[in-house]
Amino acid sequence: MADSIIQLKDISVIFKDEQKELTAVKDVNLEIEKGDIYGVIGYSGAGKSTLVRVINLLQKPTKGTVQVNQQQLLDLDESKLRQARKKIGMIFQHFNLMKSRTVLNNVEYPLLRESISKSDRQDKARKLLELVGLAEFENAYPDQLSGGQKQRVAIARALANDPEVLISDEATSALDPKTTMSILKLLKHLNQQLGVTIVLITHEMQAIKTICHNVAVMEKGQIIERGPVASVFTEPQQPLTKDFVDTSTNVKEALARIGNDPQISKLDENQRLITLSFVGQSSKQSLISELARKLNVDANILFANVDQIDGISVGTMIAILTGTPDTLKQAVSLLTENGVKITEVKSSALKEDVAND
Amino acid sequence: MINLLPNVIHMKDQFITATWETIYMTFLSAIIAGVIGLALGVLLVVSQKHGILEDSIIYSFTDKTVNVLRSIPFIILLAVIAPLTNYIVGTTIGTTAALVPLIFGIFPFYARQVQNALLEIDPGVVEAAQSMGSSPIGIIFSVYLREGLPDIIRASTFTVISLVSLTTVAGAIGAGGLGDVAISIGYARFEGDVTVVAMLIILVLIFAIQIIGDRLAKHFEQF
Ligand SMILES: Nc1ncnc2c1ncn2[C@@H]1O[C@H](COP(=O)(O)OP(=O)(O)OP(=O)(O)O)[C@@H](O)[C@H]1O
Ligand SMILES: [Mg+2]
Repeated sequence: MADSIIQLKDISVIFKDEQKELTAVKDVNLEIEKGDIYGVIGYSGAGKSTLVRVINLLQKPTKGTVQVNQQQLLDLDESKLRQARKKIGMIFQHFNLMKSRTVLNNVEYPLLRESISKSDRQDKARKLLELVGLAEFENAYPDQLSGGQKQRVAIARALANDPEVLISDEATSALDPKTTMSILKLLKHLNQQLGVTIVLITHEMQAIKTICHNVAVMEKGQIIERGPVASVFTEPQQPLTKDFVDTSTNVKEALARIGNDPQISKLDENQRLITLSFVGQSSKQSLISELARKLNVDANILFANVDQIDGISVGTMIAILTGTPDTLKQAVSLLTENGVKITEVKSSALKEDVAND
Repeated sequence: MINLLPNVIHMKDQFITATWETIYMTFLSAIIAGVIGLALGVLLVVSQKHGILEDSIIYSFTDKTVNVLRSIPFIILLAVIAPLTNYIVGTTIGTTAALVPLIFGIFPFYARQVQNALLEIDPGVVEAAQSMGSSPIGIIFSVYLREGLPDIIRASTFTVISLVSLTTVAGAIGAGGLGDVAISIGYARFEGDVTVVAMLIILVLIFAIQIIGDRLAKHFEQF
């Protein structure tokens, strides 16, 4: 694709020790479009950091090719590679600011060896600090700042060379939820205002839901699922993906709680425990009241959650439907016709789940 | 005064000369060994595994050399190195001749101190600099030596203090300085007051070095 700014082809990274070999990334292909916010999600050790460090060749792949900004990075010599890296900003979980420099000097750092006058350099650094909302902190030292502020400085620093790509490796993992949100909002704003393509590594679906358009799910060094966030979120194919989704909608937690309720094990013939998920318009329709009105099926809602994903609302519910076997069947088809995905939850399965936890 | 310091009183000039000799030996060897040790300390850190200029051959060679040199007791080093001293300086006696063993005695020690100081720097900061396209030289000067400066100053203070005591050992075999005075006059002629005064002057020197070092380290350590 002409528009893709990052193209990783058949990337494998193998770490060799004296005794053992570890394949951290295995045959990964990844294309990211210019201007996208692309999420990479996976549990610790999945190989996310190793994979994104291949993008700026901080990690040389054992196999495969890396193209960024129309350049084959593996073909470049050291000094050309350094030039290319300037167009790939990176931010980290632990900020990695220089303690001995002020906030302003930290942001200036990437420009120190550029042919730019000191006053231009400082002007630029000040503009960037303004962009991330830290203009008044230019003379502070990193140790005087909060985590969120440090990450803002790191973002300003990463933008100093006007990069085309910004890689964020768990940049919000050390921050509280509120600060995480504000950093994610800032990233989205930078994506819209500067057009910078963002690659966002995380182990939290929440971050992906908040700003990403596309997502890849990693497990054991491989991408096991990928696509637009809304579709991956509503129709997860792999168990791991489903796990991330359920954790982020709190469905998992809710099911565990419901499983502990003694009433649930006493569901009779005429009752069904189901989870419903729906996308877009259908979430706004009052399908539940329709069930009661048209079919005389009563829905006892145990849990409900609506998310905004990439601008689309996605809802999840857990409910007990009560009716006759016949009307229950009709209720399920009515819901399905309206684009609601139904999964029946067996109370026996619930118990097992709980037992396993 | 005469009762308290019966011998020192007649040796004022000798003490002044000896003090200057000690300062001369300490600082000249500190500067030369400092440059060598700093370079080797940096070399050890950048060439180590996952270092910015990883090179296992250079690393293990440097590492072993430093280890071996550090293991030689200074008094033996003085003797072993005498031919080299003679070759470089033309004599093995006197303060200038003492510089050679002092430098060899201290630079491996200092290299380790510098290495340890630099290892304290968060590798994440180095990685960030790499991701911004900094060159290895840029990283050495703008990250390692800059971020590590307070620790390097502390290590240097410690090293210079160790050097002062090495100069006294060298003094015992004819290098001059306060050690020479304390041993060849104070100790050999049973003039106890001479030994004590030599020791006091050395202590004053060491305290002065410590205070200057602490001030400098504080100054460069913003927080
Ligand atoms: N330099 C290295 N040498 C050897 N093994 C490594 C190296 N870097 C990473 N690994 C291993 O590769 C695997 C993937 O690590 P990676 O850091 O990419 O995971 P991750 O998905 O980023 O995890 P986390 O969420 O903990 O950051 C892990 O098993 C890790 O131990
Ligand atoms: Mg990681």
